[in-house]
Amino acid sequence: MGNIMNKTQKVAWFNLVGTLLFFAFGIYIGVEMFVLKRLPEGFGRFWGLLAFWLVTGIAIIFIRKKQSRAEPDSDERDELIKKRAVQISFVSVWLLLAATILIAALILGETGSIPVYLLTFINLGVFLTALLIYSTAILVQYGWRGKDGDK
Amino acid sequence: MAGGAKMATNELKNQIRRLRFENGEMTQQQLADRVGVTRQTILAIEAGKYAPSLPLAFRIARTFSVKVEDVFQYQEIA
Repeated sequence: MGNIMNKTQKVAWFNLVGTLLFFAFGIYIGVEMFVLKRLPEGFGRFWGLLAFWLVTGIAIIFIRKKQSRAEPDSDERDELIKKRAVQISFVSVWLLLAATILIAALILGETGSIPVYLLTFINLGVFLTALLIYSTAILVQYGWRGKDGDK
Repeated sequence: MAGGAKMATNELKNQIRRLRFENGEMTQQQLADRVGVTRQTILAIEAGKYAPSLPLAFRIARTFSVKVEDVFQYQEIA
């Protein structure tokens, strides 16, 4: 698996999986705190840190492993793919922000208000969504498993 | 990034696959290493999904010791 992808693809996969895990964790915390109105039961700081460093360590080894010794970190096609992914992500984030504002206005009305802390979550959500779209756009352009044109 | 490079083209044909086999059955990875790109880029060029920049086209041609026109052929599509 590590050898069929270049570094750009592997970083994109890492970002995609990491973002999805972060979203899942955020939803879990959100449901526990705001829907069920209780503090989430953790599995301890030690196990949390261990899991984090384990995942990060495996990801670093996976990303650093090259297809060959001479393989560059990125080439002209990778740069083009990343540039397009940034453009797609930028446009998507603007559309998402506009939709969020519109939906909030429709639900809350013109004089409605939201708690200040929600802005933090909205900003975080937008950043993570941008990263999610960016990573997905990169993988789609490569053909998901990087087998584009492989004959 | 070199200007003029495109992600996909049907107008640019290439002989890379044939040239690789004529040059000691060179693998895509070996060619990629020689011209300084990733294997995925060679795959995409061979499949006609990516038109390389001029410097890269020259590096590929020089690797095979042929002219650029012997590697890439531009075809007008009506």
